[in-house]
Parts: sequence; C-alpha cells; structure tokens
Amino acid sequence: MKKAFKWSNLYLWFVFILLYLPIFFLIIYSFNAGDVMQGWDGFSLKHYAELFADTRIIEIVVNTFLIALLSSLLASILGTAGALYIYDQRNQLIKNIFLSLNNILLVSPDVIIGASFLILFTVVGFSLGFASVLLSHIAFSIPIVVLMVLPRLQEMNQSLVAAAKDLGANNWQMLSRVILPVISPGILAGFFMAFTYSLDDFAVTFFVTGNGFSTLSVEIYSRARQGVSLEINALSAMMFVVSLVLVLLYYVISTRSSKNKKRGTRLVTPATEGL
Amino acid sequence: MKSKQQRQLFYLVPYGAWLLLFVIAPLVLLLFQSLTNANGGLTLHNYAVYFGSGTYLRMTFNSVWFAFLITLITLVISYPMAYLLNQLKQKQFWLLLVILPTWINLLLKTYAFIGLLSKTGTVNNFMSFFGIAPQQLLFSDWSFLLVAAYIEIPFMILPIFNSLAEIDPKLEQASRDLGANKWQTLRRVILPLSMPGVKAGIQAVFIPSLSLFMITRLIGGNRVITLGTAIEEHFLVTQNWQLGSTIGVILIVAMVVTMILTRDRVKKNTRK
Amino acid sequence: MAEQTPIIEFKSVSLAYGDTEILKGIDLSLEQGKFYTLLGPSGSGKTTILNLISGQLAATSGDILFENKRINDVPVEKRTVNTVFQDYALFPNMNVFENVAFGPSIKKMSKNDIERQVHDMLKLVKLDQYADRDISELSGGQRQRVAIARALANDPKVLLLDEPLSALDYKLRKDMQYELREIQQRLGITFVFVTHDQEEALAMSDWIFVMNDGVIQQNGTPEDIYDEPINHFVADFIGESNIVDGIMKTDYVVHFVGKDFENVDAGMRPNERVEVVLRPEDLDLTTIENGKLIVTIDDQSFRGDYYEITAIDDDGNEWQVQATNSAQVGERVGLTFDPEDIHIMRFNESEDDFDARLESYEDDDEE
Repeated sequence: MKKAFKWSNLYLWFVFILLYLPIFFLIIYSFNAGDVMQGWDGFSLKHYAELFADTRIIEIVVNTFLIALLSSLLASILGTAGALYIYDQRNQLIKNIFLSLNNILLVSPDVIIGASFLILFTVVGFSLGFASVLLSHIAFSIPIVVLMVLPRLQEMNQSLVAAAKDLGANNWQMLSRVILPVISPGILAGFFMAFTYSLDDFAVTFFVTGNGFSTLSVEIYSRARQGVSLEINALSAMMFVVSLVLVLLYYVISTRSSKNKKRGTRLVTPATEGL
Repeated sequence: MKSKQQRQLFYLVPYGAWLLLFVIAPLVLLLFQSLTNANGGLTLHNYAVYFGSGTYLRMTFNSVWFAFLITLITLVISYPMAYLLNQLKQKQFWLLLVILPTWINLLLKTYAFIGLLSKTGTVNNFMSFFGIAPQQLLFSDWSFLLVAAYIEIPFMILPIFNSLAEIDPKLEQASRDLGANKWQTLRRVILPLSMPGVKAGIQAVFIPSLSLFMITRLIGGNRVITLGTAIEEHFLVTQNWQLGSTIGVILIVAMVVTMILTRDRVKKNTRK
Repeated sequence: MAEQTPIIEFKSVSLAYGDTEILKGIDLSLEQGKFYTLLGPSGSGKTTILNLISGQLAATSGDILFENKRINDVPVEKRTVNTVFQDYALFPNMNVFENVAFGPSIKKMSKNDIERQVHDMLKLVKLDQYADRDISELSGGQRQRVAIARALANDPKVLLLDEPLSALDYKLRKDMQYELREIQQRLGITFVFVTHDQEEALAMSDWIFVMNDGVIQQNGTPEDIYDEPINHFVADFIGESNIVDGIMKTDYVVHFVGKDFENVDAGMRPNERVEVVLRPEDLDLTTIENGKLIVTIDDQSFRGDYYEITAIDDDGNEWQVQATNSAQVGERVGLTFDPEDIHIMRFNESEDDFDARLESYEDDDEE
C-alpha cells in the first residue's frame, strides 16, 4: 500500500514537471547574459531592457490588450443578449437550432474560422487590419459568453421573475434589477474567458490580420521563424506573470460567487481552438 | 404578450446578426468557394483534384494518423494523471496547476521547445552527459508529436478529471465491498463511468490536432503536413483559395465524423 | 448474552482524526443470526462502526475480530461482510441483473451459477421480473431492493445496512422494515442496521446499541432500552420522556415535585440525587382528588388514537401526556401513574453498575 502511494506521487510529479519545464526554461533564460537559450552566461536584465526599448513590441502589446479588452467587452454584451434570447425561447426546436449554431465556432478548428473569415472580409471588401481582427475576436468570443451565462439563467429561481412581474416590473426593470444581478457572475466569467481567448489567439488573427497590423502571437510566430531571441523570453516571463494574475483573479471571482452554493469551482480552460 | 415579443426582438437582433454574419455566412462562403474555379464558375474540379491526387490523400491520411497518435499519447498520460489528481485532498488547487499552462500563449510554449530541442540545446547537452552525440531533434516527426502532445495534455486531463470527480465515491466503496480489488474496481466501475470524459477529451484533442499548423511550421519543419498546414499554405502562400476551401470542407467533415463517433449515446435525462 | 462464539467482536476500538475522536474505546460483541441496530443521532459514530466492520475505515487502536480472528488489516474486498449503502450506490452503468451479478462475477463463479444466484436474490426481494431494467427506470423502493439483493448475492455472513430506509416515504418504509426483518429471519445471517430513527430500531431489532459522542450509551433488547434507559440521553432519544430531578430518599421511595412517591427501584445511597423518568403514555388524566400530581392543561392536540397533552405543574415543570380522554385547555386536572411506571436514573451510572445493582436488589426480593 505504502509503495503504491509513492509511485503515484512520482507520476504526479513527473507530469507536473513535464507541464512546467518549458515555461520555466523560457523564464530562466530570459535572465541569461548570453544571447541564446543554451549555456548560462550569468544573470542579466539586459533582455528586459531591450524589450522596453523596443517600441514596436510595446505597441504590439498595447494593441493585443486593446483588442482583448474591446472584444471581450462587446462579446459579453452580445453573448448575454444571445443567452437571454435562447433562455427566453419557449419553442424547443428553435432553441436547439440556436444552441447548435452557437456551438459551431466553439468546436470548429481555428484554421477553418480564420480561413472562412478571410473569405468573408474579402467578399464584402472589408480591409484587413485592426477592425477585422477585432470583429473576428468578438465573433469567436460570443459563444463562450453564451455558454457561461446560460447555466446561470437556467439555475435562476423562476419565482424570482414571476415575483418581479407580479410587482409590476417592466422588461427593462426586470432585466436590470432582477436578471442581470443574478447572472452577473456568469457574465464576468464569460468576460474573463473571452479575454484570455483573445490574448491567446494566434491562428484566426494570423489569417485576418493583413500586413500593417500585428498581435503578440503573430509577432512571436514571425520572430521565432527567424531564430531565437531572448527578448521573446523576457516577454514570455512577463506574459506568464500576467496570466498568473488573471487566473488568480478568475479563481477568486469564481470561488467567491459559488461559495454559498454547494457546487464546487468548475474551472474552464480556453478550448484549444481559441489558443 | 406584446412586451415579450419586444424583449425577444431586442435580444435577437444583435445575436442573430452575429449568427448570420459570422457563423452561417463564412461557412456558406467556404463551401461555395470550394465549388468554384478561379473565374467564379461552379465546378467540382477542386474535389476532383483533391481525390485524384496521391499527395493530398497521403497528406490527409498522415494528418489523421498524427492526430490519432497525439490523441493516444495524451490519453495514456492524462488518464492516470486525472485519476491520481482526483484522489488528492486539495484537488481543485492541483487541477488549477494543470490548467495554468493552458493560459500561457501557445506560441510561447512552442518557442520554448525550439530552445530545448535545438542541436546545441538543453536536451542534447543533457544527453551528451551520457555520451550520446548531439542529434537534430527539431524538425522531426517525434518533435512534432512531443510538442503537440505537450500542448494538448491539459485539455485531455480536464474533461476526464471532471467525469471522474462526478462519480459517487460510494460506488467505489460498493465495488470494494462486493469483493472487487482496486484494479477490478477501476476496470469495471470507474473506467466505464468516466467514458463521457474520455470521449470529450478525445474530441477536444483530436480535432485541433488535425489543424495545428503553427507547430508543424516551427517544430516539425515542413516534414509533417497536417490538414491545417495545407489550408494555411493554400490561403496565405499559394493563394489558391478554392483548393484551400476544399481541404477546409474535408476538415469539417472529419470534425463532424469525430463528433458523431465520440458523442454520448445515452441521453442523460434532460440535464445539460 | 448467550454462550456462543461471537461472529464480530470489538475490543476497545478507537478511531480519531488528529485530535477529533470519532469512536472512544468501543467494546461490542455480535452473535450469529441476530438483528442488531446501531441507533444514534448523526455524528454519533454509528456509521463509523459499520465502516470498521466492512473495512472502509481502519481503527486507530483496538482489535476487531471476525470469528475470533483479528481482521484489522484485512482489506475490504477480502471480508465476508457486505453492505447496503445509504443511497444504494447502485452502478449506473449496469442494469439490475449486472448489479446483482457484480459480486458473484468477481468471484469467478460459472455463468450458470451466477444466473441462478442472481435469480434467487431477485426473487428474494420480489424483483425477479426486473432483471433487464436500467437502474434509472426504477423507483426508490425498487432500487432499495436491488441494493439488498446485490449485497446478499455474495452470501455474506454479516449484512451491514447503512440507514437504508431513510430515503423512502413513510408507508414504504414501514413495509420494508417488515420485509427486511423477514429476509433476515429466513436467511439466518447477522444484520447490523444503522439508523437514527428510534421507532425503526425498536420495531426491527433483537438488540440495540444506543450511541452518542462516539460511545455506546446503552445496549440491550428494545424492551430493556425503552423501559429502563440508563441516562438522560437514552431516555430522551428513545421515545418521549418527562424527566425531572428527584431524590431517592430510601429504597422504594423517591421524592420529586415536592412529594414522596412509592416506586420499585432500590440499591442507591440514602438521599441520592437522581433523575426521574415518566413516559407520556404511562400518565393518565384523572380528577384533582385522585391525582398524584396536579397540573394545568397548556396545550392539546388530537393524534388519532390518543390526545397529546402538554401540562404544567405548580413548580413550572412541563409534562407530556398521551391520554385517551380529552381535557380543556386551562383546566386543572390530576395526573396518575403506577409505582412501576417511575423509572430512576442515577448520574454517571455505567451499564455494568446498573446491571449489578438490579441483580442485587432483585435477589433480595426473592429471599
């Protein structure tokens, strides 16, 4: 018994090391005085200095966060509307059709999303750049928000709505005073998910970005194809910290909002296609 | 019930517009594109090219084969991991640690492997301690499998973990009580009950594995070509959108087939 | 208890998680073929005892013996006891037949033997028409029966039942009580039944262990425990009781609510402080002149076969009375009872002391 226990711990450690090795490898080398990811030439912050002096990278980081923020905000609004519509729909057939359509972008491989959006933008004559990337990010984030909000609506106590109606609330009052406060944890979770999807996305952006505009993922891709630069390591170390903060925030929010209920924290990952 | 109709319309307009513009229209356009020639005329020519060419068929077979291998590798590593995680005391915390790497940009993780696997990189240095001469680890089938499996592992662990966590611990106790040892309990009770999670994991890994073009480019060199790589190539390099769309349609068909094969046959009441 | 080798014995068994003691030095001995009940409120440790017998939990100290062999280190699957779980714990991926066949198939019985065994067991619980049903198609009562059949299919020497009836509605529960008792008598194996329902325990058991705070408070036949509760907890937990403080002046004379009463207890120190128990059904309403106690009716409700009356005496003590005749709220009436209805409890008297005292003065009486 004792021995089997040890083996299982060993396995857990093995997988955890496997999962984190590449990440810590990147971060450690970001402090290397040398210029390549091999051989340790001493500690230095010079790659961070390079990073902060690189106006192109900084501009791209700002763009990336701007896209993430705007797209997740707009997707939260549109996705919530979608969830409310699906929830309100009494016709089971229509409801199922909408749910299926909603999930198409979630399960589609990102190259398909990217390629088909590229065709769409070209056909309607929309020029590629900031706007096309933003629209694409909003588009693939909406179903995520719907998926996070819908369960909250379904859990909502029906008599709450009935009571509000009984007390004479109109549509807008019902939405703002009763429904939105109840589902706000779902919307917030959807917003966070959409935000990380957007930050992580490479493939869709790669298809619809055109020449003038770039996000972090696209930039890393093109630099990595040219070879190793420790400036990217410095960047990844900083991105790791940002991710960590986001995860903690999300964790705190989701545990706090589900604490008084019995359901455990169910964490959701960005699905692979959003990466 | 006029107010209800107003309300419905208020929600439907923005959401419906999104569905039409960004879900239905792109798919229709993709299908349409695959059925046209360079002048815009309707034709089945692209499908004839695809199915008539050994290269494309071999590429498709390879892509499916690699996706299968990636799925198998991640499943073999992830199932025991999910099982062991589920037995830990602070399991939600440890699960968070499994999920954390997925929140780090995929490109950055791939980039790390360039450093780890390059000819003078860390892995080769480590091997040379044991007297093994440096080898080209990058741009091989194995490096592609390794990196792709690395990326996908959390997406396999998560659904399996969730389905394992949903199993009533009393069932395991009941099985032991009826005379089954740990192994028999795993095989006859736990494994069958966690199948929905395994299927969800296969879905979450197999479909994206068909289309991981950035990893094939950065790690696999151009040795491994997936359906995704081919689509990217036709759209962004050779600018043959018609054939690219054809391969896209093939990829969608592969996706649908996968989902049908892995769907949950037993409808779970009306929950979810 | 009779001179027979016990099938299960606990010798000062304790279980603790860190500083939290769940069981404190449990001693018990179970005989072959009897229906035992562990009765107590939730958290009293009754289910823990069940889990120690089945092997799901390991004791921190003490010995657990099965047919005189120490089984502390025998794993769950090697023990010849089986459990009916509280929420049945039926395997949802198997149908009724497969659930019941699980144990026999693990034992590598032949196909024919398995089929015969499953059939016999399903017949025993009157579900032989349901072998091919899915678990999700069964009602609560039917699931209950499958769980019993599944546990019995391994031919256990002891069947453990963890609050098996708690999820059923009242009528079904009554039927199952009767049926479980019948199955136990037909098979002649030992049943260990856990419940927090004292009525259930009294109706079904040969022998009851009353538990609280990880300690066995009292054990005995249902009649013993009901008629002679050893302490305040048992008196309060089993049935309804009126408990007042009193003084045992001499043998057979107890003083409470300002009066001396004749009773049938003895063997205590003169003027010892005691607690006096009077069961509501032993009290009757009478005229003030005939009343041993004078009370004012505070509340009355009709319960079908009797009136449940709350009355208050002049000292402010509350008395529960189950009377056949009704009264008026606010009316002053007398309460009457027989000397043998008075039960005396000494403070901190152990079961052994109680038995010894009882024997000593009952012997005196015979002389």
